[in-house]
Amino acid sequence: MEFSIEGAKIFARIHTGIPILGDFLITETLVVSWVVMGIILVLCLFLTHDLKVEHITKRQAVAEWLVELATNFVRNNTGGTKFDALIPFIAALFSTSIISNLICLVGVWSPTADLSTEAAWAVVVFIMITATKIKTNGLGGYLKGYTQPIAVMTPFNVLSELATPVSMACRHFGNILSGIVIDGLIYWALALASSALLGLIPGAVGRVLSQIPILDVGIPAISSLYFDWFTGFMQAFIFCMLTTMYIANAAEE
Amino acid sequence: METQSLVTIVPWTFIATILNLFLTMLLVKKFLFKPINNILEKRRALSEKELTQARAAREEADGLKAEYESSLADARSEAAAILQNAQREAQVKADQTIREAEQQAAGIRTRAEADIAQEKKKAINEAKDEIGGLAMDIAGKVVEKEIREEDHKKLIDEFLDKVGETT
Repeated sequence: MEFSIEGAKIFARIHTGIPILGDFLITETLVVSWVVMGIILVLCLFLTHDLKVEHITKRQAVAEWLVELATNFVRNNTGGTKFDALIPFIAALFSTSIISNLICLVGVWSPTADLSTEAAWAVVVFIMITATKIKTNGLGGYLKGYTQPIAVMTPFNVLSELATPVSMACRHFGNILSGIVIDGLIYWALALASSALLGLIPGAVGRVLSQIPILDVGIPAISSLYFDWFTGFMQAFIFCMLTTMYIANAAEE
Repeated sequence: METQSLVTIVPWTFIATILNLFLTMLLVKKFLFKPINNILEKRRALSEKELTQARAAREEADGLKAEYESSLADARSEAAAILQNAQREAQVKADQTIREAEQQAAGIRTRAEADIAQEKKKAINEAKDEIGGLAMDIAGKVVEKEIREEDHKKLIDEFLDKVGETT
């Protein structure tokens, strides 16, 4: 028995002939992210149909709670209502992230286990941060900020600026991928162990039973509480938190 | 099946993810935030309206209460005034009645006194007449001589007046 872990499956390859961008690949990542979008859309529609002003249903209470949670999250972290336009973005980012992270629990490939996803998000956030900085200080002020406190620091400032999206993307990606790798390793090791253990039974019974990875039931359920649930939630939260904080900081003079 | 490498950035997936992220944002905005914020806004407006109404109702009630209290006070003072008036009138009437009764009583007494005086006078006169007659008879018998009553009337009267004064 060999242990191996591979990237997202490529379902189809559409030849485009465009240089750099290359072929359009219909990967598992893309398909599952569409599924995630579908889940979010269905959830939104389910939560918000038949809204009432009084005598609300539990469903509506959940929807209102979610909206207020997102609103308060952004307002508390930016200190005001200046970034209210950001609320749906943060909500979309968080819901996409957490559903993508947790969807691996039902045996589907997590789109967040593909660096393309997090890199895209991080670049969007980076552009937002830069745009906010330029809007606040003007282009001159923004560029001048790189030479602070002295001109020699410019390369380091540029580096630290670029490190923001890279670290955000890699943190999220690394945590999710490592969770998947560790889950895979645990399953693999437990399957080996149960095979070796049941192989001790002599005769045909032992041969048949050793094919059943009986030890795979139990321990992975507990380890996945941390590696899938906790990490999945934490990374989504951290990504959104950092996005909000960076943008709020960028808006300071 | 072909797989991509574990750590890589696929350009098209990268672009598609950016588009998907903004598409998700629009969906979340349109299908969750807009309706829920609408409802929250409506509820806020409703509660504010109800609050304003409640405040107005309370003010109205306060006004009515003040009005009732003032009219009650008016009624009370009016009642007091009426009572006082009635008492005063009764007093006046009673005084008047007593005065009238006193006057009447005084009149009756005066009349009675006058009557009595007249009666007395009459009785005295009668007694005088009788005594005069008697005296005449006695004198006639004494003098054995007919005294003409008419002639000596004056004399007798004088005598009787003297008698009356001494008694």
